[in-house]
Amino acid sequence: MVDNSTNTIQQLHAPPKPLVVYGAIFVLLFLPLVISTPLATEILIWAIFGMGFNLLLGYTGVLSFGHAAYFGLGAYSAGLAFRYLDAHLFVGIVAGILAPMILACFIGALAIRKRGVYFAMISLAFAQMLYFLALSPLKEITRGEDGLTHIPAMALFSFSLGKPLPLYYFVLVITAIMLYSTWRILQSPFGKLLQAFRENEERAKACGYNTTLVKFFSLVISAFYAGLAGALNTVYLGYVPLTTLFWLTSGTMVMMTILGGKGTFLGPLVGVGVFLFLQNTISLITPRWELFVGSIFVAIILLFPGGIMGTVEEKIAAYRMRRASK
Amino acid sequence: MLLRTDKICKYFGGLKAVDEVDFTLKKGQLKSIIGPNGAGKTTLFNLIAGAYLPTKGKVFLKDKDISRMTLNRVSRLGVVKTYQINHIFPSLTVFENLRIAAQVRKTSFNFWRQAASFGEINEQAEQIMTQVELKEKRNWPASTLSHGERRYLEIGIALATEPEVLLLDEPTAGMSCAETNHCAEMIQKLNTDLGLSIVLVEHDMSVVMSISEEILVMNEGRTLAEGTPREVSDNEEVQRVYLG
Repeated sequence: MVDNSTNTIQQLHAPPKPLVVYGAIFVLLFLPLVISTPLATEILIWAIFGMGFNLLLGYTGVLSFGHAAYFGLGAYSAGLAFRYLDAHLFVGIVAGILAPMILACFIGALAIRKRGVYFAMISLAFAQMLYFLALSPLKEITRGEDGLTHIPAMALFSFSLGKPLPLYYFVLVITAIMLYSTWRILQSPFGKLLQAFRENEERAKACGYNTTLVKFFSLVISAFYAGLAGALNTVYLGYVPLTTLFWLTSGTMVMMTILGGKGTFLGPLVGVGVFLFLQNTISLITPRWELFVGSIFVAIILLFPGGIMGTVEEKIAAYRMRRASK
Repeated sequence: MLLRTDKICKYFGGLKAVDEVDFTLKKGQLKSIIGPNGAGKTTLFNLIAGAYLPTKGKVFLKDKDISRMTLNRVSRLGVVKTYQINHIFPSLTVFENLRIAAQVRKTSFNFWRQAASFGEINEQAEQIMTQVELKEKRNWPASTLSHGERRYLEIGIALATEPEVLLLDEPTAGMSCAETNHCAEMIQKLNTDLGLSIVLVEHDMSVVMSISEEILVMNEGRTLAEGTPREVSDNEEVQRVYLG
């Protein structure tokens, strides 16, 4: 064993201690006491989406500007299964997860070798293709611009998920599982590899890693999260708006992740929470809420380039460094 | 012969960076490549390591043709390069830098089990950390290390992948005189104590002359001379072109 007593400086943005994971879940238990239950549910759903997106952008360093494709496809797959096949809750959710993962395998196989903005643009193009497919050619089943409606309210055993509170706690259980899973992934050899890839792809390759495969798996895992969030969004809304596939959904996700702090464990949760809370609060006052949320976003990014949690972690790291050098 | 190239060439447009070079390395040998700037040393390195595809010619590792293999495949076969300019994982700790390299042969795509629970990998990382004398900085982000320490980490990362052939590209670049001597000692230890076969590209002639078994002198992409340090330093052609 190594004596770490004198080495108190930890790497920046290291995966947190288990206590942070359990603490976050504990706090989320009481979220409906502070804000409205539907808003709290929406935050959890988008946080799941954000956790997956953060694995790709924050930990692997790959920007996808078409994550709406996975979120929307997840939403539609679950919605179609619920509406046309009268599928069980879990069957619909599994459909909502599998379809985006298959899509990610396809997009990954085609485009994963592209870097930076090229990959971002290709993923955007795929998402827009899916959007227009749902808008017009597949209108008969997707209901086009109206979105997919007439989705029956879901029930879990004898609990109706049509009511806000049971739905919230159902989504919370899944969020807790995903938070824990994310934490496990980040601590695993694969999670470490993602971070190594982000830090220095060339060196990871020189160590013997097939970095294309690393990126590919990261994308597919990220699609798992997005699909799950999409399916839960269908359960939550009771319909699938066409906008779930629109590029603005991808853009919003990028904003939320950067706002919270990309590459930080709690960043997506905090980013999503702050964004949706601001959106809900300011839209009550003015219909021009985007203008204000946008201004706040710009201000935060200018003042704290690491995002909210990124800045918090930087401060903690700086404090530890000062203490260690004393 | 552990490693050899057969009339290897790399052309960049009209520039013949490496032109028909036959390089050989015996098991356990420490061989240096020297030459003036632009002689093609690093290009030859990259051809051996799989970072470049040769224009012509072949590279063999124990008679296996590795010329068309990619960097990561060559690395897995045991030929691992370090970089002239530091290529580390800057925001990860020293230990994580080494652990990531150490896990490459044992587990890469394990999504669930905690990295900390892989005893063998962690022990190996700790051991390498001792070898490259970075134990004191175990939990420091690599970006906070001094230049000399980063150069050691650079070597440590390569070592952690359990190479058979270590390709060191100017490991002492930017080091002070004392640091250079210390680093040279460390390299020699890796060769004698661990039996590692090492190819060294180095500008510091005192290092090259003191620790190399053999030296290959390159000039304008071609082999100028080859032999023991004594033979090379006595070679008139080498003296004219390089040693001055």
